[in-house]
Amino acid sequence: MTSLRKLVIGLGVSFGAPWLLLVVIPALKAQKTVPIPYDKDRDGLTGFYPAEGVYRQGQLVYLKEGCVQCHTQVIRTTFNNISDGWKKGWGSDQSDIPKHVVRASTMRDYLGEPVAPLGVQRNGPDLANFGYRVVGEAGREALHVKLYAPRSQNEWSIMPSYRHLYKVQKIQGAGSPDALKLPKDLAPKKGYEVVPTAEAVELVNYLCSLKKDAPEPGKVVADSK
Amino acid sequence: METTDTTVSNSDSLRRAAIDRSVKGPVLFLFANAALWLLASTIMGLIASVKLVKPGFLDYDWLWFLNYGRLQPAHLTALVYGWAIQSGLGASVWILARRSGVALERGAGSMVTAGVFWNIGVTLGIIGILFGGSTSLAWLEFPAFVWPLFLVSFLIIAGRMVLHFNAVQRENWFFLSSWYILAGLFCFPWIFATVNLLLNHYAPASPLGAIGAGINAWYVSNIIWLFFTPIGLGACYYFIPKITGKPVFSGQLAQLGFWGLVVLGGWTGYQKYMGGPLPAWMSAVGGTAALLLLVPAGIVALNNHLTTEGKRGLIESSPTLRFVFVGSFCYVLMSGVSALLGTFWTGSNTQFTYAEYGYQLLAVYGFFSMTMFGAIYYIVPRLANCEWLSARLIRQHFWFSVYGISAMVVCMLVGGLFQGASVNSPDNWNQPMVGSVINARGYLVGRSLAWVFILWSNFWFFVHLVFMVLGLGRRSTTPTLLVHDRHHDYVPGTLTSVTTKEA
Repeated sequence: MTSLRKLVIGLGVSFGAPWLLLVVIPALKAQKTVPIPYDKDRDGLTGFYPAEGVYRQGQLVYLKEGCVQCHTQVIRTTFNNISDGWKKGWGSDQSDIPKHVVRASTMRDYLGEPVAPLGVQRNGPDLANFGYRVVGEAGREALHVKLYAPRSQNEWSIMPSYRHLYKVQKIQGAGSPDALKLPKDLAPKKGYEVVPTAEAVELVNYLCSLKKDAPEPGKVVADSK
Repeated sequence: METTDTTVSNSDSLRRAAIDRSVKGPVLFLFANAALWLLASTIMGLIASVKLVKPGFLDYDWLWFLNYGRLQPAHLTALVYGWAIQSGLGASVWILARRSGVALERGAGSMVTAGVFWNIGVTLGIIGILFGGSTSLAWLEFPAFVWPLFLVSFLIIAGRMVLHFNAVQRENWFFLSSWYILAGLFCFPWIFATVNLLLNHYAPASPLGAIGAGINAWYVSNIIWLFFTPIGLGACYYFIPKITGKPVFSGQLAQLGFWGLVVLGGWTGYQKYMGGPLPAWMSAVGGTAALLLLVPAGIVALNNHLTTEGKRGLIESSPTLRFVFVGSFCYVLMSGVSALLGTFWTGSNTQFTYAEYGYQLLAVYGFFSMTMFGAIYYIVPRLANCEWLSARLIRQHFWFSVYGISAMVVCMLVGGLFQGASVNSPDNWNQPMVGSVINARGYLVGRSLAWVFILWSNFWFFVHLVFMVLGLGRRSTTPTLLVHDRHHDYVPGTLTSVTTKEA
């Protein structure tokens, strides 16, 4: 047996084990994860968990813009210095004083996403349950303005502007109903308006679809019924 | 172990010259292109860092593609694929050729062609990221069609060398440095192909969900531990004995270190998402492996310490030894930082913060790149048949790189700690992110300054290297050493015997 063969076999065995156990087998098993039904008597809910996936078309915009560089989509377990679950507005309960800790993210929360964008860093707030923070049409409009000019809402923000997802166009007639309501210093010159492109609309649809804290069957907290 | 015979016979040096000539084309090609990508990556890293402090910087309508979310991955992929892996390949080709003891008969041309395609891959990949093709997979942001180009180019270059090495089969060729390098060359295609197939092609059809993110973190960690580490350590184990003229202190220790690394490296990675949605055992295993990797790191440190015992004066004079020494020191540091980031005790504060970027740079720049610089300072004069032009430029490259990367790592680790502390603090439960943004700002200014230092150092490195590759170096029989400001002060016989000696 040549020494090269010895090395290859040694490597194959020692690296093959983690390769199989941490990559190949979990990847093959991932497709066995399916939605599970709620039990009407036990949970007081009907349907399946998770009910629906994310809006993939918009997720692609999220990915190509590299939002993951600064935004995570993970609520971590609450212990040892980690208080993700108690952050105001990070769960479905948007009230000033949340009654319950937001539950930690589970594997099923990301069902149907090819590769979940869990995030590289958390330079901005977590977005796992961002959908709850956008309330109604006014919320969507504000989100568009934030994407167009982040500092118009928080002057300390270090979020980049996504102006390239919007276009400035001449106002025709009464103007587009989608035109952004921008503060004076950001408004385009007279007779023009800023409207979101299809990509911006898709990105906002995606962000609004981020609601990853549906109660787990068998672990439904009394109040959230 | 490495030969340390000081008598260099004439036929030996002719044989070595023939070996060097046989791989000159591919090695110089890879080094020169790598240095160019390093420069590009440094510039992108600098702009991205400034944008974190001042988002309005270069934020013109027509520069929309320079947004942080695109520039940061472009910067890191240029650093990893453009510079690090490419220079690692160059050094591996040369070291394996020398270790085989026989000149490469054919295949140099196909290696250069493969190198061209590797660089086309990096170019396409980075343009792809900047102009909207990013996949947002860490260290794999290239559009999905680019990766086969990398894999095939890598296999052609590495495969050619491994086959040559295997065919020559000198008795007892199983040296430590070749061992490490072969391990790195085997692992990269394995890791790279698996992860790309799974994340880019399997996942869209059969969604991986959170596991996909875990596999991505595993990829980053494995490239660090099973490609950069073995190639870097292989170079350390080649150049340290060669320059000090002493054999590696303990071959048995070194074997233990080698197998420790190979057995443990593959288990790391999932700790990136500890406390998250992935099964807890996965991140526990990752954290444990990161902790245990301190053992092989300690072994390497001890061995290098004992090998260089009594010869440390050479660090002053030999550019190669100086860079390699800092590199292997950073290897120990990076093992320590990796262990700290991987446990809940310390890692919960640094998770998702700048500290992780600091760790990646410590691994890719502090450890791997410094070692590769050392290798390049040794290898290039032998291929280009001329000596480095100026000791002052080398010294400048060294000190600006060392100051730059130290400032960078300290700023990112401490800044990350404060950033994480603010995000995690229960007192801030109802606050927006302003606390962490303000906390980190000073450190981000430091990060930008560190990039300025590194940019300065690498600009001159690139210029110096281009002169050498074009054969415009100094015509001399004595190497450029760092003890004297002016190389013509050089006193023959004082240091030549140890720096030009070849085994």
